[in-house]
Amino acid sequence: MAAVILPQHSSLYSVKTSLAPPARTASSSKIGVETGDFTILHSSKNGVTNDVQLRSILRNAQVKRCRMYSKVTAMLKRGGRKTPDKEYPWPQKMRPQDLIGSPLPFLSRFKPLPQKSKPVHLPFELPLVDIQKKIHEVRELADSTGMDFSMQLNELQEKYEEVRRDLYTHLSPIQRLSVARHPSRPTCLDHILTITDKWLELHGDRAGFDDPAIISGIGKIDGMSFMFIGHQKGRNTKENIYRNFAMPTPNGYRKALRMMQHAAHHGFPILTFVDTPGAYAGIQAEERGQGEAIARNLREMFGLRVPIITTVIGEGGSGGALAIGCCDKMLMLENSVYYVASPEACAAILWKKAAAAPKATEAMRITAHELMKMDIVDDVIPEPLGGAHSDPFTTSMNMKKVIMKHMHELLKVDPEPLLERRFAKFRKIGAHQEAVNLDPRMKRKMKPRDAPPEMGEPKLLTSSVRENLEFNLKAASTANPSE
Amino acid sequence: MLHIKFSKQNKSVCEECGNHLSMDSMERIKPSIDPNTWIPLDEDTNSKDVLSFCDEESYENRLIRSQEKTGLPEAVQTGIGYSNGTLIAPGVMDFQFMGGSMGSAVGEKITRLIEYATQKLLPLVLVCASGGARMQEGTVSLMQMAKISSALHYYQVQKKLLYISILTYPTTGGVTASFGMLGDIIIAESKAYIAFASKRVIEETLGQKVPDGFQLAEALFENGLLDLIVPRILIKGVLSEISDLYSSVPYRKN
Repeated sequence: MAAVILPQHSSLYSVKTSLAPPARTASSSKIGVETGDFTILHSSKNGVTNDVQLRSILRNAQVKRCRMYSKVTAMLKRGGRKTPDKEYPWPQKMRPQDLIGSPLPFLSRFKPLPQKSKPVHLPFELPLVDIQKKIHEVRELADSTGMDFSMQLNELQEKYEEVRRDLYTHLSPIQRLSVARHPSRPTCLDHILTITDKWLELHGDRAGFDDPAIISGIGKIDGMSFMFIGHQKGRNTKENIYRNFAMPTPNGYRKALRMMQHAAHHGFPILTFVDTPGAYAGIQAEERGQGEAIARNLREMFGLRVPIITTVIGEGGSGGALAIGCCDKMLMLENSVYYVASPEACAAILWKKAAAAPKATEAMRITAHELMKMDIVDDVIPEPLGGAHSDPFTTSMNMKKVIMKHMHELLKVDPEPLLERRFAKFRKIGAHQEAVNLDPRMKRKMKPRDAPPEMGEPKLLTSSVRENLEFNLKAASTANPSE
Repeated sequence: MLHIKFSKQNKSVCEECGNHLSMDSMERIKPSIDPNTWIPLDEDTNSKDVLSFCDEESYENRLIRSQEKTGLPEAVQTGIGYSNGTLIAPGVMDFQFMGGSMGSAVGEKITRLIEYATQKLLPLVLVCASGGARMQEGTVSLMQMAKISSALHYYQVQKKLLYISILTYPTTGGVTASFGMLGDIIIAESKAYIAFASKRVIEETLGQKVPDGFQLAEALFENGLLDLIVPRILIKGVLSEISDLYSSVPYRKN
């Protein structure tokens, strides 16, 4: 009776049959034999062998227990092979001739979508949809009757262009918010893969988790290497659920921090991309310390001795966005928004009704141009007519140009002045005033000074700290590329 | 039923159940600072209506109304004073002023306090009580989180000074996500509600009820997010003991 030996690198059909009548096991996908031979099989099943095909036969195999316990039969089940549990991003069968060029694209799970998604039209784009329908009807009429409708078609086409230009050059904040949240808006990885020559995604926070909502990795733009970190939204519903709608948990922020510290350690400049509705509000997130993770990121980012540029590519949701957004230069795409609380939440709390969300959007000044006026944002990246979703390639190229312009400025600055510039950038943001003659009634609950004059007058020192700060600001701005 | 006078005598702590009620800033500062040693800082700093924000009432009017009602120009009091013989730099937030929300003036006052403490090498104590960032000031109030964190970076990481944060009822939103959770030692009061996302937001996101006691100080303590839970009556003593423990470091004063 031939014993079945399945050496490590055997081919598909090395399984031999036994002579004794087999007994069936209960489940077809389990192997239920206890022999020395079985241990070889068992270890193969667990994946010790590199032979993928063998593994999948065994999974589908129906192993029959034989009386003599020294033989094992493995039979291919009818119905074919099931796909393995975890799909790898590289193709199952790779031959040496498939390896042309860099191996890095094989490691990326972010592949082009199999089906082109249906175009989504925003409510304010309805006039355009109507004109498009008319054009379609006229064209069909022309095709069916054979008459010449080219004049009408040209007229309609011109009208379409005019309406489109009008609409998109005068977008209101509410319309910009809906463009920022558009389901087809290019995501962080879409931009990264367009602007980089090489891209290697890195994973994990080395503390038990790999949050899919935050992307990190190293890439090369124009021959220079950068560390990229960003929030990743999904391109369809399935991806969105996997990515948790770009709402990171504390694990994501810890992953971002690890990557940023890695970048500072080696000297990679950091580019971050913000596109999140906010940090994830869930029970586990709170238990793991969502507030602490964000706070730690905020503090540590001010100590990284490499240039940091943050680009808001979609929505910037409050603390969840700021945790990777403490930067030397803040850039925003034209139709992106950055808010402290979502307009819906703001409306619910201040106006006490959710229907007031449009009013909240107008009042909170969340669009790129308004923030640039308030000196929070350093530059606005123009989007093509129709929004980023209508022409992702041009958007990414515009972004690349603006980022590289600012990066070249920052690369000329030494690390210490760079840190001081970053402090100074955020130090000056604030709308406060020193009230000259505040009504004493308004101060009645403040504890007045009761220390003796010998203790000194701290006010002078505080202002001298501010003088030092102004000196640093001036020094930092003049230390700039006049060289 | 607690009589207000007796409750205040007992530092607003219910004798029967030990529940710490919220306290306003004046009541916190008075007992903690040694008499005749308090110097307030930036008493006149207050907020501007930078966005000309108007919901049901304009932001300016809301500010004036809160100032008249509470007798405070802003939601935080900062200053320096001696506590059991050590000079410290405390900042005490007050929940009564617009829900303790952190706007530009709060951010500016706390940042200046941290800068002053950096210059004079004083230990920093911030008592946090806040509903979050002030929405009427928009993204400007969000940036205050970054501003305070940058000052804290210089204070803690570069100058290696001691910062103790005391979290009280309630501490939520932007404050938890910035200076509240950055203390070298984080102390919470018993049964304080400390959260990043409020219970309502979590229930809306998950579509299910959250367990009781889920975001209270005791639960955070179990999850390793706090150092200590200290009852109100012991806080002053604990702070001076901590200062004493930290006073002999660094062990090699080069």
